Amino acid sequence: MTNSRERTGAPNSDELLRLIVESATDFAIFSMDLQGNVTSWNKGAERLLGYREEDMIGRSAEVVFTPEDRAAGVPARERAEAAYKGRADDERWHLRSDGSRFWGSGIVMPLADGSGFVKIFRDRTERRAAQERRRESEALFRLLATNVPQLVFRTKGDGGRTWGSPQWIVYTGLSLQDSLGFGWLEAVHPEDREATTAAWRSAQGVGEYYVEHRIRRVPDGSYRWHQTRAKPVPETSGEGDWVGTSTDVHEMRGMQERQRILLAELQHRTRNLLAVIRSIARDTMRMSASLEVFSTEFSGRLGALGRVQGLLARSDGAAICLREIVETELHAHGGGELMGNVDINGPVAMLPAASAQTFTLAIHELATNALKHGALGQASGKLNVTWRIEHLNGAPHLVLDWHESGVAMPPARSVRPGYGTELISAALPYQMGAETELTFGPTGVHCRITTALEREGAQDE
Amino acid sequence: MSDGRGTLAGQRILVVEDEFLIAADLARSLKGLGAAVIGPVGSVRAALALLEKEAAIDAAVLDINLTREKVYPVAQALQLRQVPFVFATGYEQWVIPREYETVPRCEKPVDLRALISLLSL
Repeated sequence: MTNSRERTGAPNSDELLRLIVESATDFAIFSMDLQGNVTSWNKGAERLLGYREEDMIGRSAEVVFTPEDRAAGVPARERAEAAYKGRADDERWHLRSDGSRFWGSGIVMPLADGSGFVKIFRDRTERRAAQERRRESEALFRLLATNVPQLVFRTKGDGGRTWGSPQWIVYTGLSLQDSLGFGWLEAVHPEDREATTAAWRSAQGVGEYYVEHRIRRVPDGSYRWHQTRAKPVPETSGEGDWVGTSTDVHEMRGMQERQRILLAELQHRTRNLLAVIRSIARDTMRMSASLEVFSTEFSGRLGALGRVQGLLARSDGAAICLREIVETELHAHGGGELMGNVDINGPVAMLPAASAQTFTLAIHELATNALKHGALGQASGKLNVTWRIEHLNGAPHLVLDWHESGVAMPPARSVRPGYGTELISAALPYQMGAETELTFGPTGVHCRITTALEREGAQDE
Repeated sequence: MSDGRGTLAGQRILVVEDEFLIAADLARSLKGLGAAVIGPVGSVRAALALLEKEAAIDAAVLDINLTREKVYPVAQALQLRQVPFVFATGYEQWVIPREYETVPRCEKPVDLRALISLLSL
């Protein structure tokens, strides 16, 4: 009470009480006798419960309880508790005169003179529903936050952490306590910490946090790339509550990098192949007497190049089976019907991918010539392609013989050194360090190619 | 380039390229313009051996990927000798290490006119 009121004369306490009870329309206030029959009923009670004072006086207050509570004896128990303890909390569903329910929250107290009780309570349905919703959403958040593969955290808008999900604790080995505030930075790669904190400085302005950084994982202590994002929770006030996740993107980054390198390799191979094709075109042009000859020869060489690309693509950069190259080329020069006078024989031998292209072109030239002037073009001709693996100077070497026989050789003058000769005598030594011999015997061509099998680089001078 | 027959007369040009057909083609083209070709060779070791042997080299054309190795030791040796050179490669610029980012890059298949202008010959 203020001083001014005392000077003007305070109302007596009965008057004061009456004023309070009548004006507190948000509160239902009623009194009962010891049996629970209503003895007074304020405006708030009329408003909240829907019964008028004159209808309730002398009537049992049990009507405001739900049938379940009435059956369970709650009204009497409430009065007993109030009498015994001096007050009883009253938090339960209540019933209005129209049968609708509301969540009443208040207390029951015994009257000082022992003549009964007073019950004061108000409608807290909305608040209770809000609390319920909050509890549910909180539970849902926890369920989600603790079961997604991401590391989830709650933080202040400045990056100071208030919570970390179990995944974070398990992944980083940092306890919740050690992660709070800025303790979590300990798990971030030292080189990435500056970027990590800088991103928090700009996050509040943008309304979003985003950074890619490395986070250390136990037990191996390796750092893995993560994408960390956070956003403020809507409808929070003040400095606000943010929720964020860190997602492991290590594999993805690795794959992106591998894809970039793969594309660069593809580009490199394609451009090299174009340069090879141009070289073949120019050489063929130089050695062709007419456009018809050029067309036939160039198409043939392009075909061989195409076939070996197929083998290379299937081997994916690894070594290629020698027999496969030889058979593929011979089949391309006449197919199965020629195979009667062709004998291919040798153990499994693998050619380095880097040599396969030139080697195939050389075999292609031998086969083309054999079809034109040699064993593949004459009924009496016979072609033996045989190879063995020999140890020369302690290293395994492939020794391949291309041996034609039974051939009526054209006059020596008409056998001019051509593209095939250049490939065999110059390209194979350069490309695969091979030693080659090419002889035009009286009954057919003989070519021997000797090359170290382990050697995969170009020839040294 | 029928009018360029003597463009490279007297120039001694090193060619490092592991693919025979490309190396032979480039060497033939350079010779056609009057150059003396050193090499071609297809490995770092062979290229460094040539550098040791040859006192006078005016320029070089280097393929980057030599089967199992990269040509960079040769590039370094050429930089030390202040010999101008270009990379003739199928690689994009980003693949090339930063210390060689100023080296002119000639895309394969090499355009001879572009090559000559990049070497300022």
